[in-house]
Amino acid sequence: MKRIAAACLLLAAFAHEANAVEITIPVLVPLTGFLATEGASQRNGAILAMTTPPAGVSVTYDVSDTGVSPEVAVNALERAAGEAPLAIVAPMLGTQMLAMLPVALEYKTPLLTISGTAAITRQGNPYVFRFFPDDATTKTAQVRYALESKGVKRPAVIYQTTAYGQSGHAEILKALKRAGIPPVYEEALDVSVKDMTPVLAKARAAGADALLLHLHSGPSALLLKAAASGGYRLPIIAGSGLSQPSAVDLLEPSELADVCAETSSSPISAETPAMRSFLDAYRRRFNADPDGFAVAQYDGVGMALEAVAKGATTPAALTQALASTSYAGLAMTYRSDGHGDMAHSAVIICYDGKTRIPTVVAHYTNDAPD
Amino acid sequence: MFALQLLFNAIVLGAAYALVALGFVLVLNATGAVNFSQGDLVMVGGYAGLALFTWYPAPGILLLPLVLLGMAALGLLVALTAYFPLRRRPPETVFISTIAIGIILQNGANLLFGPEPKRAPALLGEGEIRVGTLVFGLQSIAIVAVAAGLIAGLHILFSHTQFGRRLRATAQDREVASAIGIPVDFMVAATFAVGVALAGVAGLLLARGFFVTPTDGANYMLKAYVAVTIGGWGSIPGAVVGAGLIALFEVVYPALPALFPALVPALDGLPLFSQNASVIVLDALILLILVFRPQGILGAATKARA
Repeated sequence: MKRIAAACLLLAAFAHEANAVEITIPVLVPLTGFLATEGASQRNGAILAMTTPPAGVSVTYDVSDTGVSPEVAVNALERAAGEAPLAIVAPMLGTQMLAMLPVALEYKTPLLTISGTAAITRQGNPYVFRFFPDDATTKTAQVRYALESKGVKRPAVIYQTTAYGQSGHAEILKALKRAGIPPVYEEALDVSVKDMTPVLAKARAAGADALLLHLHSGPSALLLKAAASGGYRLPIIAGSGLSQPSAVDLLEPSELADVCAETSSSPISAETPAMRSFLDAYRRRFNADPDGFAVAQYDGVGMALEAVAKGATTPAALTQALASTSYAGLAMTYRSDGHGDMAHSAVIICYDGKTRIPTVVAHYTNDAPD
Repeated sequence: MFALQLLFNAIVLGAAYALVALGFVLVLNATGAVNFSQGDLVMVGGYAGLALFTWYPAPGILLLPLVLLGMAALGLLVALTAYFPLRRRPPETVFISTIAIGIILQNGANLLFGPEPKRAPALLGEGEIRVGTLVFGLQSIAIVAVAAGLIAGLHILFSHTQFGRRLRATAQDREVASAIGIPVDFMVAATFAVGVALAGVAGLLLARGFFVTPTDGANYMLKAYVAVTIGGWGSIPGAVVGAGLIALFEVVYPALPALFPALVPALDGLPLFSQNASVIVLDALILLILVFRPQGILGAATKARA
């Protein structure tokens, strides 16, 4: 009897596999260059979602490195789109995304991305879906937390010269302007700058009462290290670069005292049981701690796979489903605003100076805190 | 006091850059070829320190000799693969082969260590010495001491030893050196070993305070090239001077408004002393040097530039 039952189960499993919808979602992310850390998180989040698909869905994927040049990304997209995938995980680098959008339009293939560059969803392209809050959302959260919770009146804004930095800088200025508080000091830093003492000294000389950063992870850590050793004890509200565990690992807990950062979510803080499960699964699979980028891409692919499980098995049907439905992900509930912006929340995390595990201190949904 | 702090920071950075530039100029002199993998070899030195520390968690100062030896061996390998088989081809061939070596190293580091920034072990520890408002980190002091020791050691090697004199003879004229019985190939290989070892030590020194990622090489390569161009193409003291000048432009120039607050109103919001402006001014200086003193500050007028 047991053998018959086992055989039935086996047959059922085979039947299930045989009936599974088989789809392909190539993963095109920057794994080399200055965004390699963030790109690895993006890749890992996508892979984790694709290796645990909903019942009835079977996913195959290839990972391609897009580096940091638009040409490489466009070539990778041309290759991937030519094989008629259902959707494509597209790189988080804004300049690459802007170059890829016409190709996605040509092939009518939905792109699932976590690029924060505001412009990518303002091109009228119906095939781009962004699962990371855009800079307008995260920078508004960063500025509001600085002004409302820290009482900042004379902020200094330090940002990167890259497209990522310029986009975030513009949104910080807009948010400050709305509040009627101009920055007392602004400086753009190349990613190769090593010694942060001059920029800190100039911010202090300008009378800044806090630093608003929009830097990549390595430069964020360098600046915090210089601030701690040089005794620049100003409140620091950083960009999402500092929410990455790999960046935080470069610093001693004491160097993180009075430091906060904006991000889409903080999986390492494990606010919910579902996030705790994700954290454990991610650590088992990748032997590393996840960041907000990994969660966002995990959620993005998760939303697409759920739509597939519900019958959206063509690129056109998936595009329609992503544009018109909502999805309760780990970080937030995602829904399109009509432009492909799916994520409308950001959180502020703060470090206590004793551990490297941040606490989520504030949630912001668009322009109103939850 | 702040000016002293900036000067100290510039000396620390300049000392590490000087090692990179010295390694670059040694190979340049011995072979006449530009080693475009020099920056990536700096990056490898940082990872070598990190790997050794993972294997045997000792202070960086104890790992330093192992990094030196390991990187010297890597230098021999670079010479054997990227120089000797191609040395009779046009000079561009060696440029390309060293670029290929750099790309291999960069991607190898990415595969082995991942793309995230990492920290190498501290040479002496994390402590610092405070004198009033001045802060002298132990790591920074160790960087200056190690770099000064190595530069002094190189000076002694080249000026006071038979081996050093043979190296110099090889660098000056390989054909004449060969004619008088100097084993030129051995000397070139030894130069690669020394030059790459210096790059590796610089990598170990820099990778604590400034971290290391697989893509750092291009930036260090550019600094070496600029240092040697400013200081004098082929000039060993010039490489040190050039490296120091780069560090001054990176650390002191952008801080001038903080040093001299009276400058701020006069600037009227113009970012003349921003980090970006410091790069522009430095590169403008290079253009002026190339036009008005092409041999560099301390270089000989007859050297050819690659």
